Amino acid sequence: MLSEKIGKNIKQLVGDSSGIMFLVGLFLLIIFVIMAVFAPYLAPYSPIKPTGAPLLHPQASHLMGTDNLGYDVFSRVIFGSRMAFSIAAIATVVAAAIGIPTGLIVGYIGGKLDSVITMIMDSVYTFPGLILAIAIAAMLGQGLINISLSIAVVYIPTYYRVIRSQVVTIKSELYVEGARAIGAKSPTILSKYVLPNVLPSTIVVLSMNIADAIMTEAGLSFLGLGIAPPTPDWGYDLSKGQQFILQNDWWLVVFPGLAIILIVLGFSMFSEGLNEYLNPNIGEKR
Amino acid sequence: MRILLSIPMILIILTIVFFVLRVLPGNPVLAMLGPKAPPEIIHAMEHQMGLDKPIIVQYFIYLSHIAVGNFGTSSYTSLPVLQELLQKFPATFELTFYSMIIAVFIGIFLGSYAAYNFGKPMDIFARVYSIFVYSFPVFWFGIMLQLIFGVWLHWLPVSGRSAPFMIPNHIYTGVYTLDAILNGQWDVLTDAIKHLVLPSFTLGVVISSIFVRMVRSNVLLSLSSQYVTAARARGESEKKILFKHALKNSMPPILTIMGLQFALLLAGAILTETTFSWPGIGNYLITRISYRDFPAIQGAIVFFAFFVAVISILVDIVNAWIDPRIRY
Repeated sequence: MLSEKIGKNIKQLVGDSSGIMFLVGLFLLIIFVIMAVFAPYLAPYSPIKPTGAPLLHPQASHLMGTDNLGYDVFSRVIFGSRMAFSIAAIATVVAAAIGIPTGLIVGYIGGKLDSVITMIMDSVYTFPGLILAIAIAAMLGQGLINISLSIAVVYIPTYYRVIRSQVVTIKSELYVEGARAIGAKSPTILSKYVLPNVLPSTIVVLSMNIADAIMTEAGLSFLGLGIAPPTPDWGYDLSKGQQFILQNDWWLVVFPGLAIILIVLGFSMFSEGLNEYLNPNIGEKR
Repeated sequence: MRILLSIPMILIILTIVFFVLRVLPGNPVLAMLGPKAPPEIIHAMEHQMGLDKPIIVQYFIYLSHIAVGNFGTSSYTSLPVLQELLQKFPATFELTFYSMIIAVFIGIFLGSYAAYNFGKPMDIFARVYSIFVYSFPVFWFGIMLQLIFGVWLHWLPVSGRSAPFMIPNHIYTGVYTLDAILNGQWDVLTDAIKHLVLPSFTLGVVISSIFVRMVRSNVLLSLSSQYVTAARARGESEKKILFKHALKNSMPPILTIMGLQFALLLAGAILTETTFSWPGIGNYLITRISYRDFPAIQGAIVFFAFFVAVISILVDIVNAWIDPRIRY
């Protein structure tokens, strides 16, 4: 995953001070969460109403300038965090809700079913995620739920693979065999012995997944497949802002882009720090 | 062996694409004709497209068509989709090819120098570079380059493949840089390169972050090995040690990783093509989505699936050739 690679890179750079990395990531995330939750109070203007002359340079009254319709860019960046969080959260939850149980059950049952499902999941996994999401989004059309679902499909195999590979190891552990020997039923074994052991790593995947989902969402809305305008959305604002760069209106593209970069960096650092804390035994894998 | 394994992969992707485009809500005929079309015309169109048959029959008809290279007919231009795709493919190939070269070049040099100067400023620069470049959205980075080199400095064009009338006289391959050389049209070649610089740098730099990291950690591993110590003991030059011994021995894992990044490269290509109005398959896909041209959308995605599969086979072949210990 993208955010995993960013996180590993940062960890390598900071070395022993990975606690600081976690805190910086957490700090960035808290800022974005505050932005999303308190957007109406923080934003100086409405994000979907003209608030001044069109294409104003950044200035005291409009910190990040205005776009071609006179919308305040700063307010749109603040409100854009809501869209990023909601889509990423729905996509992640849906992907996890399908991927985790499938991985758990299929990994536990094993056999032919396992080989077939794993092959399907691997095929989806190796296929470029954005292209798959584009295909689904093209069919479903714009909208919050539709985009979230298109992104969710891409990440189901990620959960499936993480969970399945662990279940395959855990199910032959002594404590699982012991439970089976004293007559525990499969559902009990899965929920009481297997699930608690695979969940910590899932939390990290979940957190990393949110960063990736935000990136994919930005890509989709940049391509015009995201949320219907005028809802504030970083990717869409970027694609609209690009039409004006030839007249040097840089503020339309610089600020939404920085927002995407910072939130992705924040989630990556946070997840990597979390990984260190939750899975201390897992050494750095290349 | 590997070729056999990639057939199910293509089949699964085909199946998913088929069902995504057919089963999900949204009737393609209705989408093409608009909501106010009379029912008779809708039925006639459905019959013409074979949409009135049971879904499973449609599925096998579709598979048999793909197998013989029939990707259907575009509902926007009424041309065969495969013909359109093949016409757009050279542009995508040219963009991804040069991006890959740029990414590999940056990866190998920055990565091996970083490993060689472990812990020194060069190394730290390489690591900070990968972190930032990785978190750049491709399209944002592209727009920034357009802004700096196109708008502020006026050095390079910001969109398209060529200036008006600057196309090769005779198209051999559709790859403009190659055709221009074959035709001996040096002005066309210069123009094509100028148009290529920003898009291929955008995509190349974004992909390079993975390569820098891979090369760095693999070369680092090789540098601490005994054959490097032996080479030093023989008094070989440091340059030779780095590039001949350390880098060469790290190549197989690096190549595998590079091959795996191809999927990422293609996804990036769609975004880059859109950012730079580059007339390739990615741009084609996005344009046709806005026209609701379903045969074209489906065709483009299937084409990408084939592309990914072919590349993963190629990577394996090259790997086996470089490292004789690998056998499939």
